[in-house]
Amino acid sequence: MSWEILKFELRYHLRQPLFYILFVIFFFMTFGAVTSDAVQIGGALGNVNRNAPFVIMQLLLVMSTFGVLTTTAYVASAINRDFEYNTDSLFFSSPVKKSQYLFGRFTAAFIVSSLVYLGVVTAIMIGSFMPWLDKERLGAFALKPYVFSYFVLILPNLFLFAAIFFAVAALTRSLMATYTSVAAFYVAYIVSRVSLRDLDSEKIGILLDPFGFSPFVRTTRYWTVFEKNNNLLPLDGVFLGNRLLWIGVALVLLGLTFAFFKMEVGSASGKKKKKTAAKSEALIPAGVAIPHVAQRFGGMASLRQYFTTIRVETGAILKSLPFIVIMLLAVLNTVGGAVFASPIFGTRFYPVTYEMLEVIEGSFFFFAVIIAAFYAGEIVWRERMLKLNEVTDTMPSPTWTIWAGKLTALCIVLYITLFAAVLTTISVQAVKHYHHFELGLYFRGAFLILGIRLLLVTILMFLGQILTNNRYVGFLIALFYIVGQVVMDALHYQHHLYQVFVLPDTTYSDMNGYGHFVKPFEWFSLYWTIFAAILLIAGHLFWVRGTETAMSIRTRVARGRLGIPAVTMLALFVIAFVTTGCYIFYNTNVLNHYSTDDQRDKRSAETEKLYKKYDRIAQPRITDVQANVDIYPDKRWVDIHGTYTLVNKTQQPISDLHVVMVPDVPLSVQIPGATLARNDADHGYFIYHLAQPLAPGATIPMSFTVTLHHRGFENVSRDNSIVANGTFINNFATFPHLGYNPNVELQETPKRRKNGLAPIVRAAKIDDPKARLDNSITRDADWINLDTTVSTSPDQIALAPGYLQKEWTANGRRYFRYKTTSPILGFFAYLSARYEVKRSTWKGIPIEIYYDPKHAYNVDRMIYGVQKSLDYFTANFSPYQHKQVRILEFPRYAQFAQSFPNTIPFSESIGFVADLRNKEDIDYVYYVTAHEVAHQWWAHQVIGADVQGGSMLAETLAQYSSLMVMEKEYGRDKMRRFLKYELDRYLQGRGGELVAEMPLMLVENQGYIHYRKGSLAMYELRDEIGEDNVNAALRQLIHDHAFEQPPYATTRALIADFRAVTPPDKQSLITDLFETITLYDNKATAATLSKRADGKYVVTVTVESKKFRADDRGKETSIPVNDWVDIGVLGASKTKGNEPVLALEKHHLTTPKATIRMVVATKPDRAGIDPLNKLVDRNPDDNTKKVE
Amino acid sequence: MFGLLGPNGAGKSTLMRTIATLQEADSGSIFLGDIDVLREKDKVRRLLGYLPQEFGVYPRITAEAMLNHFAVLKGIVNARERRDTVNALLQRTNLNDARKQNLSTFSGGMRQRFGIAQALLGNPKLIIVDEPTAGLDPEERVRFHNLLAEIGENVVVILSTHIVEDVSDLCSQMAIISGGRVLMSGDPQAAVRELNGKVWRRVIGKQELEEFQSRYTVISTRLVGGRTVIHTVSDAQPDPTFEPISTSLEDVYFHYSKRDSQQRQAEAA
Repeated sequence: MSWEILKFELRYHLRQPLFYILFVIFFFMTFGAVTSDAVQIGGALGNVNRNAPFVIMQLLLVMSTFGVLTTTAYVASAINRDFEYNTDSLFFSSPVKKSQYLFGRFTAAFIVSSLVYLGVVTAIMIGSFMPWLDKERLGAFALKPYVFSYFVLILPNLFLFAAIFFAVAALTRSLMATYTSVAAFYVAYIVSRVSLRDLDSEKIGILLDPFGFSPFVRTTRYWTVFEKNNNLLPLDGVFLGNRLLWIGVALVLLGLTFAFFKMEVGSASGKKKKKTAAKSEALIPAGVAIPHVAQRFGGMASLRQYFTTIRVETGAILKSLPFIVIMLLAVLNTVGGAVFASPIFGTRFYPVTYEMLEVIEGSFFFFAVIIAAFYAGEIVWRERMLKLNEVTDTMPSPTWTIWAGKLTALCIVLYITLFAAVLTTISVQAVKHYHHFELGLYFRGAFLILGIRLLLVTILMFLGQILTNNRYVGFLIALFYIVGQVVMDALHYQHHLYQVFVLPDTTYSDMNGYGHFVKPFEWFSLYWTIFAAILLIAGHLFWVRGTETAMSIRTRVARGRLGIPAVTMLALFVIAFVTTGCYIFYNTNVLNHYSTDDQRDKRSAETEKLYKKYDRIAQPRITDVQANVDIYPDKRWVDIHGTYTLVNKTQQPISDLHVVMVPDVPLSVQIPGATLARNDADHGYFIYHLAQPLAPGATIPMSFTVTLHHRGFENVSRDNSIVANGTFINNFATFPHLGYNPNVELQETPKRRKNGLAPIVRAAKIDDPKARLDNSITRDADWINLDTTVSTSPDQIALAPGYLQKEWTANGRRYFRYKTTSPILGFFAYLSARYEVKRSTWKGIPIEIYYDPKHAYNVDRMIYGVQKSLDYFTANFSPYQHKQVRILEFPRYAQFAQSFPNTIPFSESIGFVADLRNKEDIDYVYYVTAHEVAHQWWAHQVIGADVQGGSMLAETLAQYSSLMVMEKEYGRDKMRRFLKYELDRYLQGRGGELVAEMPLMLVENQGYIHYRKGSLAMYELRDEIGEDNVNAALRQLIHDHAFEQPPYATTRALIADFRAVTPPDKQSLITDLFETITLYDNKATAATLSKRADGKYVVTVTVESKKFRADDRGKETSIPVNDWVDIGVLGASKTKGNEPVLALEKHHLTTPKATIRMVVATKPDRAGIDPLNKLVDRNPDDNTKKVE
Repeated sequence: MFGLLGPNGAGKSTLMRTIATLQEADSGSIFLGDIDVLREKDKVRRLLGYLPQEFGVYPRITAEAMLNHFAVLKGIVNARERRDTVNALLQRTNLNDARKQNLSTFSGGMRQRFGIAQALLGNPKLIIVDEPTAGLDPEERVRFHNLLAEIGENVVVILSTHIVEDVSDLCSQMAIISGGRVLMSGDPQAAVRELNGKVWRRVIGKQELEEFQSRYTVISTRLVGGRTVIHTVSDAQPDPTFEPISTSLEDVYFHYSKRDSQQRQAEAA
């Protein structure tokens, strides 16, 4: 019998179109992701094969999250179908047993859901054979990953979802309750993840993830390209636990369903029949006359009808359970987001209002969209679902009052949600003792900017429901809209003129407000609002009033409704829409140049193909720069008039000058006696032919004018450097340069291949003699003198490297002249803003912080950081070459700090709003300050050659310097926490490598290596050979190479200096840290405790140590352990990473396994190997074990 | 009060919905006085009170609030008038005590009376009620009829039903429709009179039914106390075993239905 039911059910489901629709959707979503970069599911792949086991597992896991919806559709139908079609009595009175009924239906629903996912599996299989795919990015076909992923990842998930929602459907017998529980399930999942975002999340979180995402992410997060291409998730440990736990939960739920389900007709099991009013029914009382009333129609009466509809519909949503549930979850999620906003090294921002607005956008907006989508379906269908439509549709209120009332109600509800979100974040601000509530900004950010986006989305959802006249198709449209945005963008259809209802982003900065983002936002808002109005008229015409739903009849009705008012309005709106569109087009495509990512990639590739042949061609070098830079903040204009002095430092005469400029920037150049031999403005490449070749040693002036004028607005504001308050430009992007610039080259191999280019050579080989003639910052200059005059509006201060010579006012503008007194690298910047200035000194050297008065929180911290840095660096490295240190704030459009001679631009968002009130937190303001000051030595004194390892000389040494300054201030314990972040970021960075991981000394400008691994390696080196020795080596480097002329130094010099100060038995350390990629797998396997008679504790710990060398793809080879490693005992602590060190001894390990005894005075908590995680170990958590 | 009688699926509801502006007509025309119902829907709606066969209610809203909302939709925008009207209707439909009660807790009868209350809002000139007594117990049905009868004194009421008694109890005019066709229309009493003396009754054995059906125009067959009773229509007594009976509206209904099905058979042949 069970079998019969199962067969019947399967046949039923497979005959429904839903199965085929789902199959096709799933197939093509996956197929798209596998066969193009346009569709991305689970993130970009980088260098990983398209059919790598990692990709298959990830794709299937991500797709399985949709399984909540698909399985629910099937299990809900399995249960509710009978109640919906009133066949329940038929079924329940038949001799079917409860077990047969329930399990027959459940099994069928589960099987059908599983069949849908075969679409995903086959899509990857078939997709990976598509001929247009890059063969380099495909691994050999293997069946195992598919089978594994399907049975271990997909099926348990589907089984669980099916069990959960089968239980809900069976026990509530309500579709509404079932779908509400789906929403609740997703949201609960998201909320539970919020708390586990931090680095220290533990096994519980992994175990409790019903999707199996956490174990997957946890296990694979440090996987290298090699592992991603070859490994399957090992089915053991927490992952196996996770799978078994949830299968168990599913079985229990099924058992409960069986126990509590009643084979009864009608209302839900256990639930009593609704109480009815049992009143004595007297005869209809006669004699109460029904008064005669005046009915009014049109005009005011229509308005009243509109308002009463709004009132009733708003109330209906606000009082409904799903709304309350979603809102609660949304508010919870927002609190989570706001409390834990933007940590950098675990330290959070002050809860400034713009940050809270971004939290609302990131943590709340999604829920509002869900409410919009869900209730658009509810509100359009409410009367029809309640079978009340025949009553309301015969009421004499005009049709527009019905739909407009409903839409308005929905919009009001959404504004109420936004209001709730704002109240939530204001509460968080208050709780965090932040009392600067910017209500005006909240109004603009939440109610205007997010508000209009939400309204447009709502209108779209609402009209989707009206026009398709099918709830589920309407929901699908909502889904496609959300997915479509992403896809269109990825397919390079990026213009907001046709990205339906997508408005350009707006970034708020304390310095610049919404600035230049306002104008395009307003125009596109207007444009799409008019479009929405046109759609609304269509909605009006096609609004179903009555019981006719056939499209042909609706069209006939629509034609009937298309009276003169509708036609007139339609015409007016269409005209307005087209006019606005034309104006926008004029701005984005005529006044400005519109190009997609793809087109820009293509142009980069063209530039490379055309001019790479001139790479490192002999050119004169710039020795002196004289420039007048006029900044017009209000107009967003900058005019540059400059003169270079060029010297032929080569041995042969030079007859062609290769002048390079950012494309599309108007440039004019005057070189005496030169003619323009090649004029390629599209690629920014100009060749000037000198009538008289420039002799070796000879000098020639080159004058130029650059006009950087913003006009109108762009589709996407690409340049945020010239703004009303907070202009920050550098000479790389705004001045002409000499010689081919390799920075234009595309980096990612797939993009390069698509444009017909071989994989990139990121850096010249370390010993390339030609490349060593260039320094790693500028190829067209060695050391220069800068004399520059910069002007700005009278309310702003303009700055550039060098010392202020003179300040004056002329023509209503403010002028500043800066001049350097010692040679600097050919890299300089200009800034202009309405600054507040705080001054201090260090040993007579002025320190100045230029900041925005809205956030003075950490200015003193920066001054202190500069002072401490100068203390350490001058004592340990060499004197400071400048007579001033300035830190200059710039808007948060970019997040970095950058060191120019005596001048450090510092982003608003990485230091000025960091909340350092909790002394436990890592003071990254201090760290960044120290890092940037350190660059005055590492880059501005010693600059490496333009070869592999160049960035190690600048960045790794700056990291080391700042670590030392930080450690002096905060102690070793805090460094442990800092370095744990560094380890995490290094290991994650490896997995995202696009080309090849290099050893530190050969780093090819890879951030995760020269910063993150650099910190770890230098700290370990310092630990092993001592700070004095490291600093002695660095002093030697400065002594040999500071301010040197070409050829420039390489990391070979640095490594030699390190080796010179390293004792013979530790030389292998240099190999491990700098010359190779070395990893450890250290682990404590047992730790026991006994108490001695004298009250001390004896800890016996057994440890394992494995050591590996990795190649550039992450393939590891085991090598013998022969290292001095920390063995230690830790005490108990409340916060992770702060455990007191009770004992720490260096042991020379030569065997993979060792047992060591240690004696400690206080009660130990954990013991193990490398307990402070100084070594690169992909599983740092198992290094210690609780002592027993 | 006009009764629309017909079997299930006869097209009663379709006709009602078409008159009530809910459905479009493929062809033909409907006039209410001078109003072209198919074109001037707004005008019809202003005169109309409609109680569909089955209808639901919003959850979490009281009877009074809902009726008040409907009153505004009906164009009763003056607040005092609206209050008076809502009060009066709640009293007339005996829902006054339940006015603050959520509609979702109403029993079937209460809900039906609420339906009448909303249909009566705004003094409609035309009231359409579709199968209003389906699902009501006999006592409630009586009360409901009384209410309808009273309303029918002043305005046009179109009552659609498949229960002959409803029509004979309430209606002064009627039509019988089946398969989308009007089989008969007019005064029910006159129709009964017309058939008077032409309806004959006979008790037969179960196995004889087929034979009688082939020999006589059997308009209805029913069981009375376990025995099969047939009615036939004939101008003269078919044979002495048939006894004359006084014609009921039910016989009229069956007569026309029978004739219709015979015609259809003939057409098909």
